[in-house]
Amino acid sequence: MNATLRALNGFGLGARAGEQRRIGDPRGWLRAQLQGDAPVLRAPADASPDAIADAVRAFRTVGQVGVTARTEPEERRQARQQARRALVGIAAAESRAALTARVTAERPFVERLVAFWSNHLCISVGAKILVAPFAGSYEREAIRPHVLGRFEDMLLASAMHPAMLVYLDNFQSVGPTSVGARAARGRGQGGQQARGLNENYARELLELHTLGVDGGYTQQDVQELAKILTGWTVAGLARAQQQMGPVGNRRPARGRMAQASIDERLGFSFQELRHEPGAKTVLGVRYGEAGIEEGQRVIRALTRHPSTARFLATKLVAHFVSDEPPASAVERIARVYRDTDGDLRAVSAALVELPDAWTAHARKFRTPQDWLVAVVRAFDAPEAGAASMPLLRQLRHPIWSPQAPKGFGDTTQEWADPDSLLNRAELARTIARRMRAQRIDPRILVEVVDVPAGDPLHTLLADNTIAPDERIALALAGPAFQWR
Amino acid sequence: MNRRTFVRHMCLGGIATFGFPVVNFAQTSRGGRFVFVLLRGGFDGLAAVVPYGDPSYRSLRAGFSYDESDLIELTDTFGLAPGLAPLREVWQNNELVALHAMAIPYRTRSHFDGQAILETGIDKPVGSSDGWLNRLLQVMPGQRSGIAIASGMPRSLTGPYEVQTWSPSQLGAVNDAYLDRLSTLYRTDKVLYGRFEAAIQQQDLIGEEPMAGGGARRGGITPLMQAAAKILRQNGGPNIAAVEFSGWDTHANQGLAGGALDRLLGQLAEGLMAFRTDMGDAWANTTVVVMTEFGRTARPNGTRGTDHGTAGAGFIIGPKVAKSVVHADWPGLDTRALFEGRDLKPTLDTRSVLKAAIAATFDLTPAQADRVFPGSTGVRGAYELMG
Repeated sequence: MNATLRALNGFGLGARAGEQRRIGDPRGWLRAQLQGDAPVLRAPADASPDAIADAVRAFRTVGQVGVTARTEPEERRQARQQARRALVGIAAAESRAALTARVTAERPFVERLVAFWSNHLCISVGAKILVAPFAGSYEREAIRPHVLGRFEDMLLASAMHPAMLVYLDNFQSVGPTSVGARAARGRGQGGQQARGLNENYARELLELHTLGVDGGYTQQDVQELAKILTGWTVAGLARAQQQMGPVGNRRPARGRMAQASIDERLGFSFQELRHEPGAKTVLGVRYGEAGIEEGQRVIRALTRHPSTARFLATKLVAHFVSDEPPASAVERIARVYRDTDGDLRAVSAALVELPDAWTAHARKFRTPQDWLVAVVRAFDAPEAGAASMPLLRQLRHPIWSPQAPKGFGDTTQEWADPDSLLNRAELARTIARRMRAQRIDPRILVEVVDVPAGDPLHTLLADNTIAPDERIALALAGPAFQWR
Repeated sequence: MNRRTFVRHMCLGGIATFGFPVVNFAQTSRGGRFVFVLLRGGFDGLAAVVPYGDPSYRSLRAGFSYDESDLIELTDTFGLAPGLAPLREVWQNNELVALHAMAIPYRTRSHFDGQAILETGIDKPVGSSDGWLNRLLQVMPGQRSGIAIASGMPRSLTGPYEVQTWSPSQLGAVNDAYLDRLSTLYRTDKVLYGRFEAAIQQQDLIGEEPMAGGGARRGGITPLMQAAAKILRQNGGPNIAAVEFSGWDTHANQGLAGGALDRLLGQLAEGLMAFRTDMGDAWANTTVVVMTEFGRTARPNGTRGTDHGTAGAGFIIGPKVAKSVVHADWPGLDTRALFEGRDLKPTLDTRSVLKAAIAATFDLTPAQADRVFPGSTGVRGAYELMG
């Protein structure tokens, strides 16, 4: 086991050519990266808060496909498409900036942690069009500032971010006996128009974000938690022609209220009118009626639950050590998490000190994003090229687009299937061809991954009868480069 | 060495790795084929195989119930959602069993656990268990091999029996010398070598026709089902395939006729019908099973969708079906009949159906079918469904 490469590839995001020789103390190099706040990532020019608000407002104004789609004028259809493109465009600019941050990171361990936590509390831009404009700001503002802070602060920021509120539907969840729901029923808007509870976010908050599926909660806990979180919504999102008034009320849409509401500041809002009144009990703890504070309390309590410590520790050790995380290592990390009330800087530092992380068994198959970032870093390129996004889609690992709220996996079983290996072989060939003009010496590539002496790769890379770009492709597609 | 001879060389060299029997290219179009279509996300059985004749249906689903005139009537209780209209033809041909009030043998409303149970075929979540299709490959005699037509390797096919994966490629072809050299490199990697060889072999089987732009996601499941047909109809190729189709987690605005869920059902039906057509002569021995990890709540939630529930619907399609029926021990939708007061009550075990489907397709004895689902001897296969 080469400890320097383990630090650069296993904890970092991929060695740069020559970097191995510059690092004397691999653990010290990692520890130093944990000092200070996580690097700030500024919004790309096309994704400023104003640009996001404008694009969302434009989308709300032209609306979505309705029942009248067939008779809709061409002009309106085009306007709607343009509005959708603007939303998707924001996500595209953001995801490219996020990928460039990984490619150029000077504290790659911290950047890996950003990607890890962003995936742990994932949103998906493919799921709903209105997630797209918020996806980048979600990672920049809800995840990144907390990767060396407290898990409870990260989880609260996630719970209150429009991206998560939209993605897991909480923004439209309404307490069944809330003032708003009763008012809507009073106006005779039953049936399809009546709004009520949506338990999607509450369930995933327990199952995927904190306790884990075996963490000891019941269906009753899911429902009670969903009630606690009613009223946690996003201001400024309702369709222009279908304002919710308090709840479910369409009438004011034509009046002054609609105008006021379309100018509403976009962002998190706690709406008392939608909040289910009364005490709720989650995991045996009674939460008296306290508006938004109920949710804040229960989320903080969830992050302090022993099941959460175990669940997060298992996932972290699996990510940094092995698909089969050693029990002793998991226990050690869980203890640090518990002892520090979820201080992620302390937890990350403890990962570096795990003896299991520095053995020959400690290795992980590179996910497609890992692989691509490592390729770009190996050549010390200044940014993630525009081709990166379609390429990651082809490799089934586009940024912020998991198929389910569980996020992307990181195991050999999930990514090293035959078809994916062939895909990488083909992509490596394409990438190497494109880099022909740069006249890179293929032999630098045995310095960035662990290639044992005597491995046929050494011979192939020195074989002048093979075109240099093919030799580069062989290194990038060969087995050594697939592991970190 | 050209591509084809290279590939053949690889195949023969790799036989031991793949676990193929030595004499394995004599399969004829009479050999059975099986496709397991997993609808990930929990599809709403009550909105697909609609119990319009149940006295409680309309009050329970309220503004969310189908007009009878929109449905494809199967029996005086059940009708198919309009999106599934293409299946009328297989129903009339006695090739369709609609399954209802069916659930995995473990009560969970978690996608993760639910899919794990369905895909491992055992009755509780066990982290390390093999997939049931892989166990089928281990248990059944004769020529057999499996392939995942999917993003990555689904749990259902994982296990000691080597299987292949395929998904639409939008990339250019690479030359044989390059793959040959890569193969030399992969020989040094114990974990990856078998997988790399399998990839090269698969590439030859399916050919290199690029898929229509965008591939699977944009066109629903049809391109994947067509690729599955292309692979499965060949003699000597894989005869067991897993296909997956996501997007069924309809928590909000799932809609009625022409709505979001109905459009997905339309894509599913179109894919199934394209597969049936493309299988040609081999369709006569083919069985397709469609299942999901759980059904959804019997009542709509507060956002015109449904939350995670328990029992739901599924399908067996193929000429080995005895006759078209709705197979359900219908518990009813009366509030007192609902599971935990909110979900359709499970009365049919997914394993009972799967045993019958694989036994009929591959001439397995009930004892062999039981071995595919460990700990399930108490769950009788619904063998009467198959001819």
